[in-house]
Amino acid sequence: MSEANTDTDPILPLATDLPAEALALLPPEETIRLSITTDIKLDGLYGPAWLLATDQRLLAFSPDGGGPPDIVNLALAEIESLEIQDLYGSGALKARTQTTGQTIALFSKTLNAKFAPLPEALEKLIRQAQPIDDDKKILRGRLDRAYLKRRCEHCGQVIPRRMGVCPSCLESSKLLNRFLAYSLPYWPLAVTSLAILLIGTFIGLTPPLLLRTLIDNVLSPAATGASNAISLPLLGPTSASGALAYLVLGLLLINVSRNILGAVRSYLLARLGEQITFDMRRQVYRHLHRLSLNFYNDRDTGRIMASVTHDVGRLQDFLSDGLQETIRNILTILIICSLLFYLNAGLAVYVLLPTPLIVLVTIHFGKRLHRIYTPLWRRWAGISALLADVIPGVRVVKAFAQEHREVEKFESRSEDLLQGELRAARTRSLFSPLMSFLTSLGTLIIWWVGGNKVLGQSMSLGEFVAFTGYMWQFYGPVESLCRLNHRFQRAATSAERVFEVLDSQPDVDDAPDAKQLPSINGRVEFRNVSFAYEPGTPVIENLSFTVEPGEMIGLAGHSGAGKSTLINLICRFYEIDEGSILVDGHDIREVQLRSLRDQVGVVLQEPFLFNGSVADNIAYGKPEATLNEIIAAAMAANAHDFICGLPDGYDSIVGERAVRLSGGERQRLSIARAILRDPRVLILDEATASMDTETEAQIQEALARLVKGRTTFAIAHRLSTLRNADRLFIIEKGRLEEMGTHNELVALDGIYARLVHMQTEMSRIRAL
Amino acid sequence: MENSYKLTDELNLLDPTTARLYHDEFDDLVLEIAGRDPERGILVVRCFPISAGDRFIALCTRKEKELGIVEDLAALDPDSRNALADALARAYFRPQITAVYAITEEHHIPRWQVDTDRGPRTFEIRSSRRDIRVLSQGRVLIRDADGNQYEIPNYRRLDVDSRALVEDQV
Repeated sequence: MSEANTDTDPILPLATDLPAEALALLPPEETIRLSITTDIKLDGLYGPAWLLATDQRLLAFSPDGGGPPDIVNLALAEIESLEIQDLYGSGALKARTQTTGQTIALFSKTLNAKFAPLPEALEKLIRQAQPIDDDKKILRGRLDRAYLKRRCEHCGQVIPRRMGVCPSCLESSKLLNRFLAYSLPYWPLAVTSLAILLIGTFIGLTPPLLLRTLIDNVLSPAATGASNAISLPLLGPTSASGALAYLVLGLLLINVSRNILGAVRSYLLARLGEQITFDMRRQVYRHLHRLSLNFYNDRDTGRIMASVTHDVGRLQDFLSDGLQETIRNILTILIICSLLFYLNAGLAVYVLLPTPLIVLVTIHFGKRLHRIYTPLWRRWAGISALLADVIPGVRVVKAFAQEHREVEKFESRSEDLLQGELRAARTRSLFSPLMSFLTSLGTLIIWWVGGNKVLGQSMSLGEFVAFTGYMWQFYGPVESLCRLNHRFQRAATSAERVFEVLDSQPDVDDAPDAKQLPSINGRVEFRNVSFAYEPGTPVIENLSFTVEPGEMIGLAGHSGAGKSTLINLICRFYEIDEGSILVDGHDIREVQLRSLRDQVGVVLQEPFLFNGSVADNIAYGKPEATLNEIIAAAMAANAHDFICGLPDGYDSIVGERAVRLSGGERQRLSIARAILRDPRVLILDEATASMDTETEAQIQEALARLVKGRTTFAIAHRLSTLRNADRLFIIEKGRLEEMGTHNELVALDGIYARLVHMQTEMSRIRAL
Repeated sequence: MENSYKLTDELNLLDPTTARLYHDEFDDLVLEIAGRDPERGILVVRCFPISAGDRFIALCTRKEKELGIVEDLAALDPDSRNALADALARAYFRPQITAVYAITEEHHIPRWQVDTDRGPRTFEIRSSRRDIRVLSQGRVLIRDADGNQYEIPNYRRLDVDSRALVEDQV
């Protein structure tokens, strides 16, 4: 939408359900520029109410439109300010004029997303309706945005906490197709496995047929003394023992080949599954490293890790187990059905009679068990949560002598769990007897109907026995197909999450014509830079400055002022919205990311050490470093002495699960890491926060060496650590408010002077 | 040792006999304490929004500086009491569920259709475990997927059908 939009177009999508009697309140010459339906009326009851604005006025009314107090009619020209209030259970919009103020809309948090852009839209109209100084703020307050991501962007459906993807936008078949497309490169393998699966299933179903031949062609004639009637379908007349031997051999062959085929099939399918998931895992992990920080900020770490491990694993399980079982089950059902009809169509119909019943019962019990197990899982989780809470806090429990209370709490939850488990056990123990009864119905029918047929000579004894055999193999696959939907759904969810990662595009990426950033001197320039993490709430506003090579800049200001954002922008972790950032005259958006970050070094407040040796960690940014260089860097960082004191020296393993280093020691390792990399631009983000005075002195000394000759941006809350800075930048609400040396700024008697004053007071208090 | 420190001295309680509360022409809450300038645009914060909503109500300025705590709403003079109760009702919108008509579940998201003291409402809950809090005496607090809050004062006192539906969830 263009900025110069002063005609009569609506600013936001209009509400469609405006009541006619309310519209009658509008003078005919005014057109509606903005209207919104809300779900709480001005009297605090639920129900639709409306807020609308023309170029002249703001109207708010409840459905009856009946007049005061539920109707608000304000001239835009009189409005002084608008305030959006984020209350505990709802939101409100309040307008003020010179002399009055009133609430013009109430809305539940469900409408936060809808109301978020409203104040700015109204501001536009108000500024059109009256001459107001651009600098005068009209808007106040802000809505909490945390809840906005809980609903699907496309359909508005609530997204379940554990899933992270919208279940109704999930198109299972499309997703699974896409997933199966990964098997295309392995099509010979896939086709072979399927062929073997087909043959194996078929062979596996032949024994009852053999049994029929055994009874009808060999045993029955022999038992009734009609030995001369013995003949086998393919061999013709033969002796009874010879026929028996053939059949035994046949059964042996069938069993041997069936099991060999089974082994080959399960290996081939497993291999197919492993190959595909290997490809997928590799692709996901590579892609994760291409994505920008924004992607990581929006999601929790556990969720991301799960998509590489858990979700990909589940897909593999589906591919190598679920899919093959499904195909085999369907094949089995089809083959048995056709065999039954081939053997005796009349009886086959009866056998299939209980099938719908079995399907229904399986589905019903599935749902019922789910209903029972969900609260049960909840109770289990409650017990784990209690343990996770109390065991680490055992010192506190003992210190306050509250053991008995914790034991009681645990026992009462344990008791709840017991009751739930017993309920589940009752349902579960009902299920399998019921199922086996239902399946035995089939047998009853065959015995009765088939038995009569045998007695009436319309069916042979062998057919009767074969029938019974097939029936037993028939219901198992039916039952397991009933549970299929759940399995597909789970695989589709996993696929969706994996594809969500793969489909995310990095916000920050090399331009197609990006060139290598040559070796720089370290001149950094911001030209009118603006940036916002969330549209509408700028963190950096129109920031301009130039830093000469080798200069050290101290960044100070309140928390949340935008200091860390500023250095994130220098590293190009995020793309700026307006303006440009230049390093030695090169716009950082026009150079390759890698070549930029190669020349920027970062020391963070909480240094991160990877699992590995001390030497590996120091050389993280320069794996080809020689041992000389590593030791030199450690010495420069004042780290050499403590490293030599470790049991394995530079070979000691550090990281999450190994030698515990103190905060100061870790920090010195991370300084060594930065020194070794020899960056031209150095960023120190609170590098000495949370250190004791002595450690801080050691680190300061190391930092002083590191800073020499490099362009440095240092953030510090403790202003004393910035005393070496050439210039100080005081950032306030994303703007550069003050700039100069310590003395200049103290003389200026502004924000910085106040901060310095406050910190001296603080240290006096501490010294007491 | 002289016992000069009393823990309760830390409390910044307002004297209910001298504090007066009312809404001004801007519909803002004003706190007037005898002998002091009136403070306008007061924000009200319940210290115990769940267990003791009418006691220990902190009064703060727009910049979130606390001016004092009203220990008991009932101790204020009637006009001030009404003004404060009004401000609290506005800030803490938490309808009371009076009947539950249906709870249907789609994609593991329970959707409640209820009647409240503020009118009928339908809402969805993301996770029954985290978003439904059962307190003593059958009191249930519910937070829906968007952060709206609801309360059942005592689910055991609901009609039979509603009660059965709620019991399935808690």
